[in-house]
Amino acid sequence: MTNKSNNGFNNWQKSFEKETKKNLSDAKSETDEGIDIKPVYTKDDLENFAFVENNSLPGQWPYTRGPKASMYTNRPWTIRQYAGFSTAEESNEFYKKNLESGQKGLSVAFDLPTHRGYDSDDDLVMGDVGKAGVAIDTVEDMKILFNNIPLEQMSVSMTMNGAVLPVLASFIVAGEEQGVDRSLLSGTIQNDILKEFMVRNTYIYPPEPSMKIVADIIEFTSKEMPKFNSISISGYHMQEAGADNVLELAYTLADGMEYVRAAMSKGLDVDDFAPRLSFFFAIGTDFFMEIAKLRAARTLWAKIMKDFGAKNERSLILRTHCQTSGVSLTEKDPYNNIIRTSYEALSAILGGTQSLHTNSFDEAIALPTDESARIARNTQLILQNETGVTKTVDPLAGSYFVENLTEELSKKAWDIITEIEELGGMTKAVKAGVPKLKIEESATKKQAKVDSGSRVVVGVNKYKNPKEPSVDVRVIDNNRVRDDQIKKIKAIKKSRDTTAVEKVLANLTNAAKDETNLLVPCIEAIRLRATVGEVSKALEQVYGRHFAKSLSVSGVYGKQFEGDKDFMKVEKKVIDFENANGRRPRVLVVKIGQDGHDRGAKIVATSFADMGFDVDMGPLFQTPKDVAKDAIENDVHAIGVSTLAAGHKTLVPELMKALSNIDPKSKIIVFVGGIIPEQDYEFLYKNNVSAIFGPGSNIIECAEKVIDLISDNLSKE
Amino acid sequence: MELIENIQKGERAAIAKAITLVESSKDSDQQISRQLISELIKKPGKSIRIGFSGPPGVGKSTFIESFGSYLVTQNYKLGILAIDPSSQITGGSILGDKTRMVEISKNPNTFIRSTPSKGALGGISMGTREASIILDAAGYDFIFIETVGVGQSEIVASNLVDIFTLIVGPGSGDELQGIKKGITEYADIFIVNKNDGELKIEASKTAADYKSALSYYKKLDELEKQVLLVSAIEQTGMEDVIKTINQIVDQNKQKGIFEERRADQLEFWIEEEVKNIIASDITKRLSSKGNISKYSEKVMKNEMSMYEAVETITKDTLK
Repeated sequence: MTNKSNNGFNNWQKSFEKETKKNLSDAKSETDEGIDIKPVYTKDDLENFAFVENNSLPGQWPYTRGPKASMYTNRPWTIRQYAGFSTAEESNEFYKKNLESGQKGLSVAFDLPTHRGYDSDDDLVMGDVGKAGVAIDTVEDMKILFNNIPLEQMSVSMTMNGAVLPVLASFIVAGEEQGVDRSLLSGTIQNDILKEFMVRNTYIYPPEPSMKIVADIIEFTSKEMPKFNSISISGYHMQEAGADNVLELAYTLADGMEYVRAAMSKGLDVDDFAPRLSFFFAIGTDFFMEIAKLRAARTLWAKIMKDFGAKNERSLILRTHCQTSGVSLTEKDPYNNIIRTSYEALSAILGGTQSLHTNSFDEAIALPTDESARIARNTQLILQNETGVTKTVDPLAGSYFVENLTEELSKKAWDIITEIEELGGMTKAVKAGVPKLKIEESATKKQAKVDSGSRVVVGVNKYKNPKEPSVDVRVIDNNRVRDDQIKKIKAIKKSRDTTAVEKVLANLTNAAKDETNLLVPCIEAIRLRATVGEVSKALEQVYGRHFAKSLSVSGVYGKQFEGDKDFMKVEKKVIDFENANGRRPRVLVVKIGQDGHDRGAKIVATSFADMGFDVDMGPLFQTPKDVAKDAIENDVHAIGVSTLAAGHKTLVPELMKALSNIDPKSKIIVFVGGIIPEQDYEFLYKNNVSAIFGPGSNIIECAEKVIDLISDNLSKE
Repeated sequence: MELIENIQKGERAAIAKAITLVESSKDSDQQISRQLISELIKKPGKSIRIGFSGPPGVGKSTFIESFGSYLVTQNYKLGILAIDPSSQITGGSILGDKTRMVEISKNPNTFIRSTPSKGALGGISMGTREASIILDAAGYDFIFIETVGVGQSEIVASNLVDIFTLIVGPGSGDELQGIKKGITEYADIFIVNKNDGELKIEASKTAADYKSALSYYKKLDELEKQVLLVSAIEQTGMEDVIKTINQIVDQNKQKGIFEERRADQLEFWIEEEVKNIIASDITKRLSSKGNISKYSEKVMKNEMSMYEAVETITKDTLK
């Protein structure tokens, strides 16, 4: 007998409807993913599953309950905190400190120019050197990074996608020169280029040659570096860019499928490399959804790999690293972030992650301090040691709700995966720009829900703290980094055998014209002290540099505000402005420098346009000079600079200078949005920035302030 | 006017401000704009104005980036006017052309201006013609006018330029049936883009289709319409494009067609301005008298016929 036909359920329904004064059928709530959450789940909700198998066990097909039979009962997840410092020397110090306290793995963050294949002395990257990570120009920098660190004992994780070839080559050569054979090197290189085209934008070449490079690395490592994970297929950045969980799940697995195909096209057997594929997911604040996502990911991947003909059980198992959501952190009332991160961490654990990074509460404002980093690590230590969550494997198995949600999520993701496959796979989909657009649409919807108050964010749009606490943040002086790097490049270029370098770079260019595995000539070039930039340029000669087509959604933001008073107020101001000035307020929204995180810029652009502004969009990776030319030619009223990677202190003053160089009487006002520590506010205001909008700003309020500032500015004429 | 001097000196900010004036819907701006244009038009420069149109997705901006890059390496100065559609619902717009013109937008020998269409018919906005006059005065060798390729726009755009090109994609030959006559009359050059990679064969086939279709529609005294194959991504075929443009310009100048076209366009412009003034005057009169609602009520009540009402209102308005 099913639950629904039994009297118990009927009685419950009556009580529920009496208490809530609602029909049960109306008492659903819809998630971002478009899943209806019911107020109660019963045994009936475990029926007719296509993906989840009700009686499965941990470490067994379809691995919903975890990759291992014993999970944390035998060994808890690995606490793996990611850190970025400006120079190789500083990073080396930090790593050594961690090693002394027993850590066995380290994680390297690179600066933006390195990601994009530029040397530190390139004019294009003036404001970006040493920002958001360490600058690697030659193998000498890599050697400093691992000075006195035995690479045969240390697992090294490298977040690198664009310039994977020269960076992995540098790592291999650094090992060589330490006397460590590459077969002994262990660790992971992210090497996930497809998501770069969707969200993070730190690519160099167009999609097809980029995929060829990914395959080269998988091929090389599977043959020569058996302890090294050739790829970390990442959904993290998609959720950070605003993707809901279905999109994150589906696109990540579809990316994975594309990499499997790319590797197989090199003649590798699927079981040769599949056990070394690893994944990386974001864990946001939707508690049960995140748990279900990890369970669904394992379930679907097992099915996918079986379809690829995998025979080795290890090929079927999805292993993943997780990180708590950076985008869920708020600048307002920042101590709330400790609580958010704790719940997110618990989700990741209940979902069965293999390793975890917990964010520091001040990461919405700046790089973490020692104190905030300690709290972040302790969040995990408390979970491991005090809460008892490690004592039972997959404790939520059998929960009517969680199992049903896992199935629902699997179904929805599978539909999207099928769509992508019908388009011809992820490379083609990415080229057409479909996933990027879908993610932006999802991001804009989420932002609108927060701005309209239909989604509560504590301390931001409700329960605001009347007395905002002041928080100490880490201050970094980046001015010296670039000069030091330039000096090092000069010295190396002087001492190396230039003819040999030129010859090896020419070889590399030739190799790019056919099917040769490119990592081999890259290692030779790096060994002879070719720079990361030179290696990248040698390949660029054949492949070209990729510029993404910028598509944007419109109407998505405005739609959430039909009838909203504040929204209509801004709309009216725009019309009044047009009547008074003969045109609409016109704003140029830009990213400057090598930082490719353009979610914020895109959301601002589309929502301003939805409120009636004329919005100019600049391409990514512009210099301040380019932006100034663009702004003046289009005679915009204002420039909105979106910044995430700490470049604002160099780039904004450069922009101001460039504007007055072209037009000494320029009246264009500049506002800045993104991650900006409060200490920098005064500096920016002194440099004539008119307004600063931190993370979590309400966009309608921003738009109103911008239009008021423009009007004030015009009335001064 | 100081503004005129600065435009002629090629000062970027002055050119930009002047274009804002000619695009402005404010009365006082329009007055200055008229003075400005009247002055500039007296001393025309040497610019050749080229229109680019084509359906969405054929890579217009990418072609312009590619062709433009080629021209600036030949030391030409290049002005680009791109028209983006404004949203019909919010009236706002996203002007994203520059995201697809990465290289040329940086080049000091270019001036790139995007303009919201503000719902203007044909995708050509108010002020595009005037903006091209300003860029001409500022000494640009070529002025590109890029329009959204929807229906009417080709015809309106062709009234602003010396050469009109239509960019199409591989496989678009089938659509020839739909576009036939109007287009063949207005376009001078057909550019088949995406002649690269897997699409190469399809692109050649499309070019052949266009050639045969165009010869079929060709009038006796007309010049041969040119069909060119290019790849914007690989930057191939660009020499052919500029060669063809120069050829057509030379031929047209020799035969007097060039001047004739400009004279026709001036005539069209004057007619358009007169119509605009009359139309806005009539609109004002109509709304101040409130005749339309008054008489439509009478028609509703069967007190007079629809056509009687129209006649009465017309007479009263033109009084």
